[in-house]
Amino acid sequence: MANAPAPVTVQPAGPFAAFWNAFSQNRGAVGGLIILLTIIVLAIFADWIAPYSAIEQFRGMTKLPPAWTDGGDKHFWLGTDALGRDMLSRLIYGARISLFIGLSVMSVSVVIGIALGLVAAFMGGVIDSVLMRIMDLIMSIPSLVLAILVVSILGPSLTNTIVAVSVVYLPNYVRLVRGSALAEFGKDYIIAAKVAGVGPIRLMFVTVLPNCLAPLIVQAALGVSNAILEAAALGFLGLGAQPPTPEWGAMLADAREFIRSNPWIVTLPGLAILVSVVSINLFGDGLRDALDPKLRRS
Amino acid sequence: MIKFILRRLLLTIPTFIALMFVTFIAIRLVPGDPVEVRTGEHGISPERLAYFRHELGLDQPVWKQFLDYVWHLLHGDFGVSLSSNEKVLTEFLTLFPATLELSFAGILFAVLLGIPAGVFAAVKRGSWFDHTLMGAAVAGFSMPIFWWGLLLIMLVSEGWHLTPVAGRIDMIKFYFEPTTGFMLIDSLLSDQKGAFLSALHHLVLPMIVLGTVPLAVIARMTRSSMLEVLSEDYVRTARAKGLSEFRVISLHALRNALIPVVTVVGLQVGGLLAGAVLTETIFSWPGVGKWLIDSIGRRDYPALQGGILLISSLVIIINLLVDLLYGAINPRIRHG
Repeated sequence: MANAPAPVTVQPAGPFAAFWNAFSQNRGAVGGLIILLTIIVLAIFADWIAPYSAIEQFRGMTKLPPAWTDGGDKHFWLGTDALGRDMLSRLIYGARISLFIGLSVMSVSVVIGIALGLVAAFMGGVIDSVLMRIMDLIMSIPSLVLAILVVSILGPSLTNTIVAVSVVYLPNYVRLVRGSALAEFGKDYIIAAKVAGVGPIRLMFVTVLPNCLAPLIVQAALGVSNAILEAAALGFLGLGAQPPTPEWGAMLADAREFIRSNPWIVTLPGLAILVSVVSINLFGDGLRDALDPKLRRS
Repeated sequence: MIKFILRRLLLTIPTFIALMFVTFIAIRLVPGDPVEVRTGEHGISPERLAYFRHELGLDQPVWKQFLDYVWHLLHGDFGVSLSSNEKVLTEFLTLFPATLELSFAGILFAVLLGIPAGVFAAVKRGSWFDHTLMGAAVAGFSMPIFWWGLLLIMLVSEGWHLTPVAGRIDMIKFYFEPTTGFMLIDSLLSDQKGAFLSALHHLVLPMIVLGTVPLAVIARMTRSSMLEVLSEDYVRTARAKGLSEFRVISLHALRNALIPVVTVVGLQVGGLLAGAVLTETIFSWPGVGKWLIDSIGRRDYPALQGGILLISSLVIIINLLVDLLYGAINPRIRHG
């Protein structure tokens, strides 16, 4: 977007201003960003915002409906779960866990993905082939099945969920970085840098990498939402975060038996997952369109 | 073309070897003594331990164990399930038709709704239908399908009593020996009145749940692909010839717009199997996905190992077929 002609402004806009101009025209993306920021604030300041602790059990207050319905209690705004824990507090603390998982998975797979992708592109030959075959293999196993395999070896926990989901999404980044790096190789500025005597490490990270960043940022943003979904699915299957951790997927699993009697215990955690994933996806779509119109896929 | 097929086949072999290696290693990384893990016995006596170590080939060098493992796999021996004492392959093949039926139904639902919806949105670009559909599509592929399933059970099954909650057919009223393993076909063959309807009733909700994410992806893809095609010269030519709008869209535009859509449908296969794991768990659908999850709960590692190997091989083979199909349709891929 930065090199697009801007006839109205006299001074060319800086890269960030140009990005924001394009981004803010997409109403869905801005909406997504606002919701996402709200969720981030809730997650960071959960200790102050949440009315109660996520694991405190109130005796005699179990399975209360939301405050505005019959039988609700004004102290428990969204009601309580089967153990008398405040739903609202659990959902707020859950945001912290889900965002933490999403961001950790994204950072781990982006960092390793950049390293492996650049190595594959620069080394070529046998190393490239072996790396790419391994990535093919990872991609050929259905994501959830692979995550299940990893978790069943390592045992179910929050950390292992992050490891498992990172493995699942690693190939996307490796392939993306390798592909964009290879596309840059033939260009004049790389040859110029080589002629000037730039070493391989500097060539990798300082010369080539910045030019592959736009698609990587988009992939990373959408990767966060995928990771949240995948981790919630593992939590739901009982293979992710363990009780009493207020992870949204695990909360849903606990709530399954109350479908008939207490529908809100089932409805709320899922709604929280949906809203956060939708907001990140809308934001990611906007990011894609604003950063590089060529990337528009669907 | 033959060269392309051969090259593509050769590329698959290392992937298969790596897959066998990963599943071979995986079971070794499971915490605990391998004999205890495999036999499911705890506090085993030293004599029995030595006996089992020999029996399971664990006293051999690792490379020989791996070759043995591959040898067995190539002969269709995927091990024996600890919980049922049945061959893993037999168990898998008994349950697989249920997963296949569900997946077929899911993708059919997604294609039959997604393509017309996408075409209509593209033709009526900017209309309220277009906006609603694209909004719904974002929600669709962001959907945690395990929650979506519970929500539908809550509304449709518990609230309105329209569909059953679990299973493939009403087991109390109908019983027949499976012939094809596909409940819809078997129920028709059984000649029992109402059996087919019962099977159909059981299929509706799981089909919608599994089909939701592909539906969103297909609708979005069809729309953008149609938008691209509609601005092509040959579409303008067709209009200029005075063809009816219906002919222009359904014959000239749609046929060309469908190529990327077919690609997307092919790419959904892996995701469909992952979705089947969740869908089957929610609806107690007796397929391989639920079996896999149950195997984890029972610590039935041979079943888990064999199941993952079989499911992944299947995805590799389907991806290979899809690739070959594109090569046949589109020469540019063949030589790329």
